[in-house]
Amino acid sequence: MEKKNNKYDFSLFDSHNLLNQNILVSYKGPIDERIMTVIGDNIVLVANDTNDKARTKIFKVFMELAQNVWLYSSETCKLENGKSVGMGSLVIGEFGNYYTFVTGNVVKNADIVPVIDKCEMINSLDRESLREYRREQRRLAQSGKPNSGNIGLIQVALTAESPLDIELTPVNDDESFFSIAVKISKNCTKK
Amino acid sequence: MELEDIVIEGSHKNFFTPSVSFNAKTGICELSGESFLEDTADFYKPLVDWLVEFTTKIKKPIAFLIKLTYFNTSTSRCILDLLNVLKDYEDEGGEVTVNWHYDENDSDMQEDIEDYMIDTGLEITMIPF
Repeated sequence: MEKKNNKYDFSLFDSHNLLNQNILVSYKGPIDERIMTVIGDNIVLVANDTNDKARTKIFKVFMELAQNVWLYSSETCKLENGKSVGMGSLVIGEFGNYYTFVTGNVVKNADIVPVIDKCEMINSLDRESLREYRREQRRLAQSGKPNSGNIGLIQVALTAESPLDIELTPVNDDESFFSIAVKISKNCTKK
Repeated sequence: MELEDIVIEGSHKNFFTPSVSFNAKTGICELSGESFLEDTADFYKPLVDWLVEFTTKIKKPIAFLIKLTYFNTSTSRCILDLLNVLKDYEDEGGEVTVNWHYDENDSDMQEDIEDYMIDTGLEITMIPF
């Protein structure tokens, strides 16, 4: 094995610089309920340049998107209690008068097509149709089953009041990195 | 057998458990706090069963009060189940009132409540705080 001069084979400084000054929070690793609670409880602290409406929205969008990574990432990590949880990345950035919220994780190519179709459908609907679609999906859902795949994405689009900006980057023949970004305005004025 | 009250103290730890108080004597049922649970169906099924029992055997007026500041999407389906039991009871002549308290800054919650009214046909009194 080739000996490296650096103690680590990557530079944390480079990584830090990559996450430029607009990034408020960045996390990569396993996502389970403990991580969600810690980040969820503190996420609003970084959003101090905004109002209560936007803070509530940031929390809700985080809870939905983080649950998606936890439940649907194909890259998993086994915890001490034997449970597997999804691994993924989460970034919150601040750009002018809005926050951008991005989550990403590795997915099996075979599983992702329906999710992309769903995102495209969500993006094609206006708010009233989206609410109708959420009601329909809720009626069809099984009680208590995690249904983030069906209702969660609709919920994210409604809460953020922005389209789901999705990106799919192949990582190998069977898998891709799938990310979802949404914008949350600092000055939500609806109602 | 007498229907026992349900009293659950809410918590905000790794998961968020809502507070529950279902009183068989008074018919006052409250659900408040936050709902993000490890097993949502396990938590809500006894609540739905309790309401079915109350509305089919005890048949007294029921006052349902919701004050949830956050619930995830799995919970949202269970809330629909609870409200559907109340609607069935009302359709059979039962006396039902539903009051839903919500943060006035949370316009999404306001829409959620409106959507539950459309979905169930129940009249829900919306009370901002």
